[in-house]
Amino acid sequence: MSAPPLTVALAKGKVFDGALRRLSEAGYGVPPGLSDSSRRLVVDSLDGRLRLLLVKGGDVPTYVEYGAADAGIVGHDIVAESGRDVLEPLRLGFARCRLVIAAPTERAGQPLHRRMALRVGTKYPRLTRAYFEDRGLSVDIIPLSGSVELGPLAGLADVIVDMVETGATLKENHLAEVDTLLESEAVLIVNRASHTLKADAVGELVAGLSAVVVV
Amino acid sequence: MATRTPLHGKLPRGVQDLFLADAARRAALEARLATVFRAWGYAEIVPPTFEYYENLALGLGSQVQEATYRFLDHRGHTLALRPDLTVQTARIVGTKLYDQPMPLRFYYTAPVFRYVEVQAGRQREFSQAGIELIGAATPQADAEVVAVAVEALRAAGATDFRVAIGQVDFVRTVLTEAALPPDAARAVQAAVDRKSQADIRAALNGYNSPAALLLGQTPSLVGGPAVIDEARAMAPWPHAQAALDSLAEVYDWLARYGLAESIVIDLGEARGMDYYTGLTFEAFVAGVGFAVVNGGRYDRLVGLFGPPQPAVGFALDVERLMLALGETPTRDHLPHVLVAASDAPAALAAVARLRADGRCVEMDVLGRSLDDLLAYAAARGIGCVLAWRGDALVDVAPEYVR
Repeated sequence: MSAPPLTVALAKGKVFDGALRRLSEAGYGVPPGLSDSSRRLVVDSLDGRLRLLLVKGGDVPTYVEYGAADAGIVGHDIVAESGRDVLEPLRLGFARCRLVIAAPTERAGQPLHRRMALRVGTKYPRLTRAYFEDRGLSVDIIPLSGSVELGPLAGLADVIVDMVETGATLKENHLAEVDTLLESEAVLIVNRASHTLKADAVGELVAGLSAVVVV
Repeated sequence: MATRTPLHGKLPRGVQDLFLADAARRAALEARLATVFRAWGYAEIVPPTFEYYENLALGLGSQVQEATYRFLDHRGHTLALRPDLTVQTARIVGTKLYDQPMPLRFYYTAPVFRYVEVQAGRQREFSQAGIELIGAATPQADAEVVAVAVEALRAAGATDFRVAIGQVDFVRTVLTEAALPPDAARAVQAAVDRKSQADIRAALNGYNSPAALLLGQTPSLVGGPAVIDEARAMAPWPHAQAALDSLAEVYDWLARYGLAESIVIDLGEARGMDYYTGLTFEAFVAGVGFAVVNGGRYDRLVGLFGPPQPAVGFALDVERLMLALGETPTRDHLPHVLVAASDAPAALAAVARLRADGRCVEMDVLGRSLDDLLAYAAARGIGCVLAWRGDALVDVAPEYVR
């Protein structure tokens, strides 16, 4: 008799291919040719040990917190932004990037705490609010869902908080980094109940993945 | 026509109406839990729904404090709806029962109120069923409370569940020994709670004393009793050893009770460190991703209100447990028998007898025809209809129902 499969939510997009590769290297029979543009939402691994849920990155922590998925692979930035109460046992060493504050190049040297009514455009309102609250600064947070760099150019925001990998996009848009809020990479997250109820299968997944993580 | 406000007939977020099958299901579940509690010698305690906020706040962690519903009485004192019953029980023992023979065993099933996100069966008003064992600091007392939680889950019908037990004194001692600056200690504690080795390492930021390195190991100190031995070898400090010894004894007692297979030892348990003083535990039931039972030892609480007493207890989240158990069919909310209206003495006597025998009997008060009554019984799911013609009984229990 085989145990029911462990349900793993995979974030579509940036971390998807890397996640599949790690799972496959860890010995799970990932079906070949699986892509996040496929219309399938649920895919079982060939060995029947995993059931993969293909969901939007931002939804992965939600699936995992509620236990609809036992585990998930998603960017650490998204987990932190979600505020969801999940275990985060493993960093996976790929999809590395940083969450930074960036300001128009000519004003990047100006200290943030002396600016009045700073308007901050971001896809990460929660982390951004926490950052400024920690420093006792009241700012106007403007939630955006894409092309955040446009904010300062269009006069919508004074500064932005956004993910950068190389910094090329910032430069193209005449923005310069002011501070780093968070270092991110793909992570494995685990539901608290599953960690106890399915301790063996979860332990296997953590051990399998940690063996293939390149630090 | 009266003008209607925008809120007319609506409910605020976080409360719900329970009726018919759902209400019956919850009442039956609470009754089953209470039966287990009483069987272990626990007596019911019924604190008030609201009291002075300052008393409740005294015993609450800052998170629950923030989630407390507060309001003013006519003299300007701040009152609060209780966010749990543990602080209230501690207040009652500390101020009123301090001279009673110890230990005291109390149980409760009651609604509590917290201004938090509605999540996984938990509204802002939700039901807790719990116990407190006061006046005993032994591992046997700890084990008894965990055992009652397990028995309660079994009696409720849960089959696939596990209890994770930990010891906050272990993590606390290791954190103290690591002698980190306060900010780093907080960050490490949060990372230990998330079982994130990477975050623990990052928060340690170069600290590499044996205690600091052990903190990084806590995510893997989860499993059977062997992890206690593993930890013993790495944590030579007397307080840590005492915490591990005590946890090992709790585990041994649970094994004696035949519950070992429901128990997972988790030495990375770092929740509620400002509140708990020893054993902590959480029970998880398949079907719900959140803990259904939270409990532990809180030896400092009673002393906030009177002579100090050690204490240990748990609270079970009734609606979350219902969510995990799924919608079990129930007929508890239905009368057993529907009786046609009759003024015949024989009918009234028979109905009285049925009720005295414990049957739930609904008597028609609308003077409906037998056909109408049968249709009504079928619609509601009542299995038995009785009618009298004069003094003669006509049993018309219809086969088509049920």
